[in-house]
Amino acid sequence: MTDLMTGTAASVHPRSAPTRIWNVVRLHLVDRRTYIGIPWLIVGIAFVITVFIAQIIGFTTGGLGTPDAIEGQRYSWAVLSPQWYLVVVGVQAISFGFPLALGFGVTRRDFYLGTALLFVLISAGNALAFAVLTQLEQLTHGWWLNSYMFNALWLGLDGFWVDVFSFFVMQLLVFFVGASIATIYMRWRMPGMLVFWSALALAIVGTIMLITFTSSWPTVAIWFVAQGIAGIFAWLLVPAALAALGGYLALRKATPKN
Amino acid sequence: MSGPHHPLIESRQSLIEAGKPIFMQIAEQIENDIIDGAIEEESPVPSTNEFAAFHRINPATAGKGVNRLVDDGILYKRRGIGMFVATGARQRLVGARTEQFRTNFVGPLLDEAAKLGITPEQVADMIKNPTATERKANNS
Amino acid sequence: MTRTDPDTAVRVAGLTKRFGTFTAIDDVSFTVERNKIYGLLGRNGAGKTTLMQLLTGQQFATSGTLEVFGASPVENARVLQSLCFIKESQKYPDSFRPEHVLASAPWFFANWDAAFAARLVDDFRLPLNRPIKKLSRGQLSAVGVIVGLASRAPLTFFDEPYLGLDAVARQIFYDRLLEDYAEHPRTVILSTHLIDEVSNLLEHVLVIDEGRILMDQDAEQLRGSASTVVGKKTDVDAFVAGRDIISRDGIGGLASVTVSGLSEAERTAARAAGLELSPVSLQQLIVQRTTSTTGSPTTHDAVTATDAWSTHS
Repeated sequence: MTDLMTGTAASVHPRSAPTRIWNVVRLHLVDRRTYIGIPWLIVGIAFVITVFIAQIIGFTTGGLGTPDAIEGQRYSWAVLSPQWYLVVVGVQAISFGFPLALGFGVTRRDFYLGTALLFVLISAGNALAFAVLTQLEQLTHGWWLNSYMFNALWLGLDGFWVDVFSFFVMQLLVFFVGASIATIYMRWRMPGMLVFWSALALAIVGTIMLITFTSSWPTVAIWFVAQGIAGIFAWLLVPAALAALGGYLALRKATPKN
Repeated sequence: MSGPHHPLIESRQSLIEAGKPIFMQIAEQIENDIIDGAIEEESPVPSTNEFAAFHRINPATAGKGVNRLVDDGILYKRRGIGMFVATGARQRLVGARTEQFRTNFVGPLLDEAAKLGITPEQVADMIKNPTATERKANNS
Repeated sequence: MTRTDPDTAVRVAGLTKRFGTFTAIDDVSFTVERNKIYGLLGRNGAGKTTLMQLLTGQQFATSGTLEVFGASPVENARVLQSLCFIKESQKYPDSFRPEHVLASAPWFFANWDAAFAARLVDDFRLPLNRPIKKLSRGQLSAVGVIVGLASRAPLTFFDEPYLGLDAVARQIFYDRLLEDYAEHPRTVILSTHLIDEVSNLLEHVLVIDEGRILMDQDAEQLRGSASTVVGKKTDVDAFVAGRDIISRDGIGGLASVTVSGLSEAERTAARAAGLELSPVSLQQLIVQRTTSTTGSPTTHDAVTATDAWSTHS
């Protein structure tokens, strides 16, 4: 028996909390395509399509580069095309990442902090990249093709830093909404989904009813205009934070089910 | 691993059977190999882990079988090298097995013979001439 | 750091887990000693997976105490870093390939051996860059088995890890487990219903049935702890009278009765009485034990109990 007891695997050097949390970030990123490759591929495809559509708009509005043509392209949602994919990524970060991480001996807390850190990092990266691209697009007058994809919706109106901030908040919101919905499903399954979506629908319909019955639509419109782009996105931090916190509270007692 | 080339392991034909403590089977197999000379005195015995890997058994269980022979003084441990067969082990095993043979086989044989009125001398005679005995039995 | 008993990996006392009105784990107490291979055996639905989920902090106990390496595993990073839980139904991210699993595992398992993992990949012929979604059931199981072995976690759980693995691959798993365990002793808890295949690997056996621990015994003590006596019904009945009868069977005038604990003298006596004695394998013994206790009026009948085990012995 004594010759059996060589080279024991009985102990493990504990890793520090920052290392553990960072390892969760790395786990999410071990397949780079999910968070980086595919979103930018979608952006690339959207850009090509945008260039073609710009030609059509230019043809119908009497020449590209006219203020009308630039204004027309502002209604394109191409800049947000990866978001539909990224909300699913947020869902899968929980629905697949959580069971895998727990199998790897990660605590729920470390998993959530790591996942949240990943969301913050990717959101910051995307925000910077999109804001820079927005500026470049202006400098090059639509990539020398008069094709504007990034100066769309609210982007490119209030300057670089507002673009960074607003995109960052929007990206965080997308991730955390996806993640918290997945967490509700993980914890409470279909009944949880039912309660969540009914409550959300009721809240929206109720708000609309309230505003309509009190004839407050003009007031609401004035309020929105007064907030400005930065102000509105600052308000959107509230639902993002609520989703992040709610997701954590739900995940703390969740069990990966088979 | 030198296991597969070891004389003891090469001689191993029987596999572990179910329903019997494995460590006893391991101990018995080592004993048999010492008795029939497959493994000589003062030569090494495979390690516990080699036994475990070869028989696909738990190393602790294999170790229990080997340790039983150490306790009996059949094997001894050389620190850092392994297990070796003790001098005089074969003789001791043959002695012990002879004693077992007497109680397990000769005893019941003579009991049965006594029931049938066969004297020990007649039994000895039967053993010496087994074919003759058989013919006699068939004729009667 | 908490006090830890150097010999004990797991200590469970009065552990209960209820899901609504269903009691999955019912007031269970046992300990797991370090550096041994345990078999957690039981029928499907007996509570094996729930018990392992409790031990790995994935489930929350309803009541009772549960210590792994001296502390509760729930949200305990120190404890959880020493565990590896391989389950048959493990999920992986949609886009993952086996190479992603093997690349990330070392970040979580301090004792990870990459060379060993590479060797296992060869052994199991696992295609590293095929999407996990497209792997066969056996290849998917191989991913788990490779992680479970190469992680060398101080406490490793294998929950029915071999679904879809063919006989050759299962044998590779058993051989590699034994080899590596011999070199790097650690605590392994192997949950399975293929008892015959694994019985020789086990040092200790825990049998769970309907959420209760039915047997908690050294495997060697269990082997040879029972014998089946076969012969004429009258002779058998006379011999087994007053003994601990585990199971009874018969046809016509023949009877076959399994009894526990026969001494050498009793065996000689049985043979002298013209009875035939045959050994009882670990699997037969456990099947008979679980069948006989679940044969009570409120539960399943004995036939389904036997069917639930794969009784190809």
